Amino acid sequence: MSPESLFAALAINPAVILFAGAALAALLPGAQSALRRPLMLAVIAMSAAQLARLGLGEWGALTIFGEPVTMLRIDPLSRLFAIVFHIAAALNVVYGWHVRDRAQDFASLAYPAAALGGVTSGDLVTLFVWWEIAAITSVFLVWAPGTRMTFLTGMRYLVIQVLSGTLLLAGVVLVYRETGSLAFNEIGLRDASGAVKASGLVLFIAFGIKAAFPLLHNWVQDAYPKSTIAGSIVLSIFTTKLAVASLARAFPAEPALIYIGATMTIFPIFFALIENDLRKVLCYSINNQVGFMVCAIGLGSINGAAGYAFGNIIFEGLLFMALGAAMFRTGTSMATELGGLYRTMPLTMILCIVGALSISAFPGTLGFVTKGLIIDAAGEGHLFWIWLALLFASAGVLEHAGIKIPFFTFFAHDSGKRPAEAPLPMLIAMGVSAALCVLLGLFPAPLYALLPDQAAIAEYHPYTAYHVVEQLQLLVWATIAFGVLKAMKWYPAEVPSTNLDTDWLYRAPGRSLMFWAVDAAKAVWTLAWRGFQGRVVAAFARVYQVHGPEGQLARAWPIGFMALSVAATLAFALVFALVV
Amino acid sequence: MTGHDDNAGWADRPAFRKWFFRGLIAVGVIAALAGFVPAFQKDHPHFAAEGLPAFFALWGFAAFMFIVLAGQHLRKLVGRAPDYYEERE
Repeated sequence: MSPESLFAALAINPAVILFAGAALAALLPGAQSALRRPLMLAVIAMSAAQLARLGLGEWGALTIFGEPVTMLRIDPLSRLFAIVFHIAAALNVVYGWHVRDRAQDFASLAYPAAALGGVTSGDLVTLFVWWEIAAITSVFLVWAPGTRMTFLTGMRYLVIQVLSGTLLLAGVVLVYRETGSLAFNEIGLRDASGAVKASGLVLFIAFGIKAAFPLLHNWVQDAYPKSTIAGSIVLSIFTTKLAVASLARAFPAEPALIYIGATMTIFPIFFALIENDLRKVLCYSINNQVGFMVCAIGLGSINGAAGYAFGNIIFEGLLFMALGAAMFRTGTSMATELGGLYRTMPLTMILCIVGALSISAFPGTLGFVTKGLIIDAAGEGHLFWIWLALLFASAGVLEHAGIKIPFFTFFAHDSGKRPAEAPLPMLIAMGVSAALCVLLGLFPAPLYALLPDQAAIAEYHPYTAYHVVEQLQLLVWATIAFGVLKAMKWYPAEVPSTNLDTDWLYRAPGRSLMFWAVDAAKAVWTLAWRGFQGRVVAAFARVYQVHGPEGQLARAWPIGFMALSVAATLAFALVFALVV
Repeated sequence: MTGHDDNAGWADRPAFRKWFFRGLIAVGVIAALAGFVPAFQKDHPHFAAEGLPAFFALWGFAAFMFIVLAGQHLRKLVGRAPDYYEERE
């Protein structure tokens, strides 16, 4: 591999363009920090232009350690993710126009670049490299507020992300040993006899950690809400969707994913219901939404997974942005401290409701035309309980994302706060997201044209009479249930609290165990050293006594020195003779 | 919040709330009734439940009720003081 071929392979890659732009933005002196965001937008435009120019295909074929790798592969699956990553990165740059923070600016571009590099990698080594870059760049967003709490959270986040990376590397080695290839294609969880393969399982868990599978999910709620307002929006998008894209490529139609995904859609609903921090509610919503995508992959509907990932990035991002705007103006994201903001933030409120309608999949929105693909796939597969569970989860989405977020932020009890409307850049980013929700919801053809399985999508029609009617029945009657619960005062009041989740295991008992282990190791060491110390001191005293200047063997010093000099000269002569 | 003080915005007025809720029920009833019209039914339902005219209305209402009424008890199990972790770290 010559340096020229490596440079050519890197220069053609949109992800590398983005990453180089991030580095360039970070190098801008502090006095020119206002130029960073325009520069970042220009770099995203350049990267998008490169993506469009390349079209579909493979580039960056190199040989590393004698093995061929493909650093860039743009196929229909990776193209869809690449496009929506560009849209999201650009919207996030606009949204955070006010940010003047070198580390955050760098991470806001370098981290999407890593996710882009990951989804467009054609081999497992390239995937691993971007996977780790995504972990390392994103932690700067968790650390951005600069407090002790965010530092500790960032360390926990990093440990989990790097664990996923280490497992990925182990999986790469196992896959190579098994197939003799580093290509990143369908890997599968089982071999021909139906037994689970070690290589498949290790990669499955590595992807599962980043996709936040049940019990592996809690790093999302721990880390994302602690970032800055703009930082948490960037975080909410890329890691989990990179994992979804990887699962879709490596484990399509794996039955285990159906049940894992269905579980993911349901359990976060209950945690979201009782959560007071609305940013955490949205983090549980990420788990729930990724659950729909994971389930779709298991059902073999890659269109459903990829299409819903596209939609979710837009409408979940919009909800994060609207809540972030309220937080930017009021300084809080707690449901108990918000409420009544519709009076002075009407535009943000309207845009938030568009996002809420969309995530709930009301007809006419992006959620409706993408989620239907997944529910339909469960029907096509004649999996009644999964189908019923996904409908149940849809009512749950309406509860926590469709109603709770806008209701407790902008309506509910009057907090007495009368903040100004969101700043213009935030309104622009939210406005574009909302426009995409409605336009692609009403006219999904451009999105459908990008879906990986064109044969399947040709037969799918979202706006059939029964689909609209059944969806309206589900959502409107669920909303009526909310009205009844409020009228009867059965809806639980929000209370400030910390709700324990799986992170409790390593933050409370795990932490105690670690400190106990440290203390125990310290005690054992001290004890051992005390016993050892006396003997070492005595031994050195004896050596000094015999060999020291006044010792008996000091008489042999000249002889010893002479012998050593001769030995060194002979050794030098030997080496000299061998070499010359 | 009485709905009549100077701070009362449009969304806090009882009249708005009343009409909003009535409108919602009207849409819900129309959607449920539409389920009985053959033109709005699925030609080849995958499951028997899909063939029931107001199945989705019932399931949506029941699911939402269950989530809120059952889910709130989770707080008793996992709810702790807001500074629970700060005390430890």
